[in-house]
Amino acid sequence: MSADLRLAWLLTRGSDRREWWRVALTAVGAALATGIGLAFATVASIRGRYSVSVGSGLLDDASDRQGVMITLLMLLVPVLGFLGQCARVGAVHRDRRLAALRLAGATPAQVRRIAALEAGLACLTGSTLATAVSVPLLLSLWQHPEPLAWVGMALVAVAVPVLGAAVSALALRRVVASPLGWVRRVRPTRGPGRVFGALTVLLVVLAAYVGLNMYRGNRLGVALGPLTVFATSLLLGVAAVWLAGWSSRRLGTALAARAQRPALLIAAERLRDDPWATARTHAAVLLVTVVGTAFAGIRAVMLHIVNGTTPLSETNAYYTTGLDLTAAAILLALALTLSALAVGTAESLASRRRGLAAQAAAGVPQSVLGRALLLETALPLAPAVLLAGAGGTAIYVGWAELIDDAVGPVPLLPVLVPVAVYAACLLAAAMSLPLLRRSVRPAELRYA
Amino acid sequence: MSNEEDGAVPLLAARDLVKAHGRNEALRGATVELRPGEILAVTGASGSGKSTLLHCLAGIVRPDSGAVTYGGERLDRLPERRLSELRRTEFGVVFQFGQLIPELTALDNVALPLLLGGARRQEAQASAGEWLERFGVRGQEELRPGEMSGGQAQRVALARALVTGPKVVFADEPTGALDSLASEQVMSALTHTARESGTAVLLITHDAQVAAYADREVRLADGAVLPLEVGV
Repeated sequence: MSADLRLAWLLTRGSDRREWWRVALTAVGAALATGIGLAFATVASIRGRYSVSVGSGLLDDASDRQGVMITLLMLLVPVLGFLGQCARVGAVHRDRRLAALRLAGATPAQVRRIAALEAGLACLTGSTLATAVSVPLLLSLWQHPEPLAWVGMALVAVAVPVLGAAVSALALRRVVASPLGWVRRVRPTRGPGRVFGALTVLLVVLAAYVGLNMYRGNRLGVALGPLTVFATSLLLGVAAVWLAGWSSRRLGTALAARAQRPALLIAAERLRDDPWATARTHAAVLLVTVVGTAFAGIRAVMLHIVNGTTPLSETNAYYTTGLDLTAAAILLALALTLSALAVGTAESLASRRRGLAAQAAAGVPQSVLGRALLLETALPLAPAVLLAGAGGTAIYVGWAELIDDAVGPVPLLPVLVPVAVYAACLLAAAMSLPLLRRSVRPAELRYA
Repeated sequence: MSNEEDGAVPLLAARDLVKAHGRNEALRGATVELRPGEILAVTGASGSGKSTLLHCLAGIVRPDSGAVTYGGERLDRLPERRLSELRRTEFGVVFQFGQLIPELTALDNVALPLLLGGARRQEAQASAGEWLERFGVRGQEELRPGEMSGGQAQRVALARALVTGPKVVFADEPTGALDSLASEQVMSALTHTARESGTAVLLITHDAQVAAYADREVRLADGAVLPLEVGV
């Protein structure tokens, strides 16, 4: 192990700027995951009814705290997406490096350990920082935390780097297979495959079952209402991701045959070559679009009721705080997924820089490459975002009709959410254009 | 000429190797032998299966059928762990480019197989320094691969391949990316060191001038060894 640790340190020390970006971004992701985990552990440690000074009473009752904990767990999804994108930074380069280690005689287990140590160290940095900030914050809010809270926090602080290391080792299984991994690496061109299909079928069956129950007015169905919304949101997100991949392939094939302009031709060939690239990069964004659109509508309906003529309670703060906190959580999730998107787009460019540099050296203008880059994002994303937005709208319209006939007109403002998300995605892609200018320098041809 | 004729026991032998990459059959029954201390050139046109043959012989890929024997062991049946150990201790591998690790200095790149084997860093670096000197790249220890010329990088790669005192060095177009002068320097250093230490070399090349450094040459065409063997 000491030899592996020494090599991991040597490799980290000799890393270039891109590798340091990966380490820093991974540490940020680990810090966010730790922060959410620590909040979860703290809330989970509270027993019975408790007067909490923050949250307008949302944390006082056990049943309300469960809702907060579920929201915190849901927030982990975009954080994990962000960490996944961070792990992709320099992945091609890193895979080659690890294959070179194998060629020099490293065993598969040694390579996994070295990679795990590198990732674990980055996660440990983030976890330590988050814990160092969270503990004083907790002590300022809670003078005598339960022992269970400390145990939970310690577990989270240790679990995040350990999980980071384990996931890193697991992700390398394809490269470890051969010292020529970087030569014979096979990209998934047929999409996520059977697991994806099985998940979709499972969700369809679940949604149909719950929907049928609700249609019949069964109590079980009513109880499963939130589950229906959750399952439908997930189903729509999965469908939107699938649509992004499917439309990439179709659009790529159709446009490659008919394109008259070089930018469109390059974009079409790229879509045809790797149709699932957009789906992979935008999966979290599409899921957040469904949830964001649905929640924006539900929030508007709920506020209409809360602020209506018959107040639900003496103070509406209890309800509005809950809605506002959920909105903040979704906005945070959106910000995280857009950050992950920016990282993913930049990484995609960086890993293709040699090919781009070769095109530029052969005379393809930068403006053409830039337009091709934007089209690669814009074309397959449009139908996927449209589906995600329509699905989110259907959820909140259905919800509004379900809870009360007298909520007034269904709000239309939330339909702007998918438009805003689409614009933000294009903006994220546009932000990588300065990197494109650097990537196409002919000097990049020197480096494999 | 074969080992039956001259009585030498082959160090490494491939019999009837077949290997396909998808629908492309790269090797179609290739048979070849490498004797101890011998420098064997495998030549042939692009796409004839030279590199695939080297990958099979070095235990980097497993053939679809046929046998690879090294010192009496069936290489194609060994577990991955044992193959890694062989690459670290008894085999050295040099490619056209790209096998050096960009994050490591020349010294650490050469020391890498020793470090992987658990050697202390100072000992590993001392040994690596000696090999860098033998290949004429002393003074470049702290350079990283991106800061070296192609010729320097290849000599560092050769030093890394030989630092563990291997019995066989596999060299796949080691001068393919070099000019004629650098190519000559690299080949002279490789063959001189191999003969001095009794290391066998399997040299893949399409360049007749490079093949001329070998003791023997076999020619590959369409994934099979041509009947005629050329003694150089």
